[in-house]
Amino acid sequence: MATTEVTSEVIGSVWKVEMSEGDSVAEGDLIMILESMKMEIPVEAPVAGTLAEIKVKPEDSVEEDQVLCLIES
Amino acid sequence: MSDRELEGEGGYWPEQIAELEKRRADVAEMGGAANIERQHGAGRLTIRERIDALTDAGSFREVGSIAGTGEYDENLKLKKLTPATYVAGSARINGRPVAIGGEDFTVRGGTSFGAMRRKGGQGGYIEDLAHHYKMPLVNLIDGAGGTVTSAKRRGYVVFPGVDGFERSVELLGEVPVVSAVMGTAAGGPAGRAILSHFSVMVEGSSQIFAAGPPVVKRSLGQEITKEDLGGPKVAVNKAGSIHNAAATEEDAFEQIRRFLSFMPQNVWELPPVLPVDDPVDRMEDDLLGIVPDKRTQPYDMKKLVGMVVDRDSAFEIRPTFGKAVITMLARLGGRPVGIVANNPKIYGGAMDADAARKQIHFMELCDTFHIPLVFFVDVPGFMVGLKAETEGTLREGMRAVYMAGQLKVPTLTLVIRKCYGMAGMATCNKNDIDLKIAWPSGEWGSLPVEGGVAAAFRREIAAAEDPKAREKELETELRAYSSPFRTAEALAVEEIIDPRETRPLLCEYIALAESRLKITLGPRAKAGVAP
Repeated sequence: MATTEVTSEVIGSVWKVEMSEGDSVAEGDLIMILESMKMEIPVEAPVAGTLAEIKVKPEDSVEEDQVLCLIES
Repeated sequence: MSDRELEGEGGYWPEQIAELEKRRADVAEMGGAANIERQHGAGRLTIRERIDALTDAGSFREVGSIAGTGEYDENLKLKKLTPATYVAGSARINGRPVAIGGEDFTVRGGTSFGAMRRKGGQGGYIEDLAHHYKMPLVNLIDGAGGTVTSAKRRGYVVFPGVDGFERSVELLGEVPVVSAVMGTAAGGPAGRAILSHFSVMVEGSSQIFAAGPPVVKRSLGQEITKEDLGGPKVAVNKAGSIHNAAATEEDAFEQIRRFLSFMPQNVWELPPVLPVDDPVDRMEDDLLGIVPDKRTQPYDMKKLVGMVVDRDSAFEIRPTFGKAVITMLARLGGRPVGIVANNPKIYGGAMDADAARKQIHFMELCDTFHIPLVFFVDVPGFMVGLKAETEGTLREGMRAVYMAGQLKVPTLTLVIRKCYGMAGMATCNKNDIDLKIAWPSGEWGSLPVEGGVAAAFRREIAAAEDPKAREKELETELRAYSSPFRTAEALAVEEIIDPRETRPLLCEYIALAESRLKITLGPRAKAGVAP
């Protein structure tokens, strides 16, 4: 089983988390939406698998390359 | 007995021909079977295999093929010739001539080879060939440059720049120069990889740095692996030292062929026009729905550009560096164009220092090789915040504006959504006809209404009974003026189009630009001091 880290491409904050830990995801599924530069930045699953851990919650600040969640596949 | 008298006995020059054959046979063995096996074991091709894989079959004509180090017996008869550490010559790629060369890692690890004349690198024969014959230069880099042992052989140390980069610098204004890093590159070869219009490195088997781990350990006491120090994650994604990463050596060759397919042979020739089966008047219905109504939602700019340009023609340069802007070579009606597109998925397309550096290099590349530029604009301005300021976004961003102000190549500005502030100015070419075409989703100004209102009406908002509501009210009031149609009324934006009309319009203008390109051929003038 491989674990994939899903990271933020931007500095900003977490606006909405659309999935829960344990959910199964397909590649391209929307996991959460960040807010940065007044834009909604979608965070999509880079691989299919199970959402093993969500490391942030709404309103958290995030940095570039920060790990947002883990997908096990 | 004179050589001439040998005629009729063993044929013409039999000893000499035999010696030439012996020398050629020795050279063909490269650095020996064991070293070749080690090269293959590391997942790498030899330099000769690389040249064969990259160029048209049978097109390689070697120069300096028997340069090397001879070993002689007591009668000065050749025992063995060890080839030079560099292989060079001319070849063809898709039928077009190139100068090509690279280090032979199987011979002394590709370290610099001391001879009367260098074969390649820092003013070697191969750079001269590209210069005098005005053809592209391909560097296949697999070496770490000088070695301290050469001082012992030579008896003295060389002053930096005796074999300098003058020719490499000159070539950047004359012919396309591409470099592939296919091993660990440090020193001179690393420098050469940077002095290129396009560079690519192979994932897993290549690293590039000014100096490798032993020097870092000695100088700073830091322990770091060569992959962590100079693998593509650093050199391509973060530093932008190398433009693209390639999964395999074959992928690197394909990217080089792709890049060169857009380039003219030199700055005195037009870029090559190819036949095209994608109709220039194709109207793409999907363009209509691609930009969301909601201004805060991003969309896929690469997909958008892909729908406009000739089908499958787009080749992205630096996809993983400075991602707020996308730079691609592509074709419109078979004619090469340079695409600069803002990426709303990264900081809403705001220009940060890396994006500015990427855009500047790309604009200079297209301007130098007479490739018209098309800007797909969705830029809210320069990136803001402490990180952006610390990285020098303002200076780098103004360098982009400065460079846009020097463009001579035909330029089209297509506003997809936002075009704000000084970053917006870096998407127009005022030396040109300055044609700005907008989609109905376009919006622009010196700064966006949000934030702008808060700054300009600070007191009024603070004094209001409900400051939040007053701010919203002012925003709504000012936004009413920002309809793109009002700007078009004043011809302050020249044309507003249905998104489906984008391809026919762009193809038409790029075709029209040809007459103008013909009379502007030649080297690009240099002016001023970049900020």
